[in-house]
Amino acid sequence: MTASPTGDDLLVLHALRCAGFTDLARVAAVTGLGESDAESELITLATAGHVTYTAGVFGGWGLTEAGRAADARRITEELEAAGARTAVAGAYERFLVLNPELLDICGAWQLRPVGGATTVNDHTDPAYDARVLGRLADLDRRAQAVCADLSAALPRFGRYRIRLADALARAASGDLDYVTDDMASYHTVWFQLHEDLLATLGIPR
Amino acid sequence: MRWIHPLSPDTGETADVIGGKAYGLVLLRRLGLPVPPGFVIGTDACRAFLRDGRLPDGLDDELAVAVAALEETTDRRLGGPGRPLAVSVRSGARESMPGMMTTILNLGLTAAATAALETETETDDTRFALDARLRFLYGFATATTDLTAEALDAVVNEATGHDPGDARRLSRAIHEVEAAIGRRAGRPVPDDAAEQLRLAVAAVFSSWDTPRATTYRELHAIPHDLGTAVIVQAMVFGNRDDRSGTGVAFSRDPNTGEPVPFGEVLFGRQGEDVVSGRSSTLPLRDLADREPEVWTALLDALDRVEAHHRDTCYLEFTFEAGELWLLQARPGRFTGAAAVRLATDLADEGVIGRHEALLRVSPHDLRHARTRRLAATGGAGVLARGLGACPGVVAGRVATTADGAVRMAAEGPVILVRPETSPLDMRGIAVAAGIVTARGGPASHAAIVARTMGKPAVVGVAGLTVTGASVRAGGQVLPEGTLISIDGTGGEVVLGSPSVTTAATDPHLLRLLEWADEVSGDTSGRPADQRLHAAHAALRRHP
Repeated sequence: MTASPTGDDLLVLHALRCAGFTDLARVAAVTGLGESDAESELITLATAGHVTYTAGVFGGWGLTEAGRAADARRITEELEAAGARTAVAGAYERFLVLNPELLDICGAWQLRPVGGATTVNDHTDPAYDARVLGRLADLDRRAQAVCADLSAALPRFGRYRIRLADALARAASGDLDYVTDDMASYHTVWFQLHEDLLATLGIPR
Repeated sequence: MRWIHPLSPDTGETADVIGGKAYGLVLLRRLGLPVPPGFVIGTDACRAFLRDGRLPDGLDDELAVAVAALEETTDRRLGGPGRPLAVSVRSGARESMPGMMTTILNLGLTAAATAALETETETDDTRFALDARLRFLYGFATATTDLTAEALDAVVNEATGHDPGDARRLSRAIHEVEAAIGRRAGRPVPDDAAEQLRLAVAAVFSSWDTPRATTYRELHAIPHDLGTAVIVQAMVFGNRDDRSGTGVAFSRDPNTGEPVPFGEVLFGRQGEDVVSGRSSTLPLRDLADREPEVWTALLDALDRVEAHHRDTCYLEFTFEAGELWLLQARPGRFTGAAAVRLATDLADEGVIGRHEALLRVSPHDLRHARTRRLAATGGAGVLARGLGACPGVVAGRVATTADGAVRMAAEGPVILVRPETSPLDMRGIAVAAGIVTARGGPASHAAIVARTMGKPAVVGVAGLTVTGASVRAGGQVLPEGTLISIDGTGGEVVLGSPSVTTAATDPHLLRLLEWADEVSGDTSGRPADQRLHAAHAALRRHP
């Protein structure tokens, strides 16, 4: 069975479920929609009471309780309609094998062992940073296989492959914030993928 | 024997051959301390296995001989019949690679041996033997198949209805886990103990080359061609009865360097429960009241190992039915202000000279010593303790949700307290002054995000629960809005505002720097690291 693409409204709703409270630009980045399309979906969802907008410095879009419930129901329906539960559950298991290693790598990016003690990685040793990035690239090759299985089961997962590759490419080209720090960093996208797998399979944290 | 060496006082092999962990165990035996009997398969066997893809010639026969000797020593039989022998099978490379390779506990608990273990237990509680069998299956499954502990948890929860306390349900869980392993491996779990042991040894060897272990070595600059040793020891059961348990101990407090034993203990549990943070531990001192003989023996062991290293030490221990056993020993590796305190105290105690004290403190330690810390309280007033994930001391009002944190942050600093963090908490973390999570280690999502944002954080606070708008920790219920302070270095959570120490007020550092000036002959006012550096330079010229 080939799953049909997820509708834009569910893509936007689910982006807020997995990325949390956030602004329009990030909703667009997470979903791959243009900002005006994403905004239009957000306004429709707001009318239905599924999302709300908060103004101010920490302002942005967030899910309501009703929106969270609607997302859970629709994401489960989509999973079952596509007959994708077994494939996604299998991919989740393979994700869990990679997850501790990814966290090791991110930890090593932030803190480095120096003479038995750990100290903040101040990124003044290019050889060390290259070692960490080398391991991230190696892990990414294995993560690609998991992402491919996921997108084959449900096309909406394809967005993670694009976002992870983008973060890795930026980090490799010297934009050091794209390992752990930026809102589009490898760790941030990975963290959202983890949340998405839990939400999709209905596994509580 | 060519591949196998006994864990005995006269084993003279280096850590290159038998690995760092076994080397430490041999040392403990030499110091006359209690170590469960066992043997170690050398790293050369691992290298042969990785090269040829099979256990080296002759290892099978040596294993049979070594097991027979262990059966003789313990008066037990691996896999039964009669008094059953269960063993732990642990990795141990020259360089420590914590958590990266495979461990299998309770190996040899075949169906018959499990039943025999049940009957020899004095209490009428059959859960002990069943729990031990289940733990073996977990270790065996994760070592020999791609099943994860999480996947097995799901099987167990389904079978027990989240209530593993009931023996009948526990039996059903064991049955379901066996079935899951059988499906995944394409053959049933072997019920022959010798076959279990061969598979386990091969699995530990193979785990040297898992991607995660490879990554760890790459990041820590450990050569890839060393291989790991495998330590096989008679099991001691910290979960046998209520006079059993497990723990970890430092001979001094690793947070402050204070010369008081420090650590954690868990009654009625096995060692992994402490290291994994799955269970809530008690302060080490509780051992003194509940098991005074174990406590005395442990203090004696800490003293002897510390005297041998002329340095603080770390021990992992288990006690079974009131008898102490040591499972691992290494130097304490203190850093920061604790390293300064340790060096000056050891000099005052006459264990080392002042020159050596100076050389034991590194410029990194001085840098870390400048981090603000909660003032030492000797443990009093500490509400809960986890792992420091991002240094710094901060006070704030408890918020239990991201939304609550955003709302409360308008009125003053907030500490976000969560079971663990998800992306949905990012907004709360962004406005919070500090973060506390019940679960997770130093490389959890929460720890990584906290460091990204430079927020003091304490993770893995076992025993902390978040229910609705309140937090329960250390036997107290804290409603949202309660003022707490956290120390992201030592992992302490305390009530109220903090009293803080900094390097400028640390009497031990001031003394160490006076010694530094005496050595360098330069008493002009300079920053601490320059004073230490000058002393190091002088000592290296004229040691």
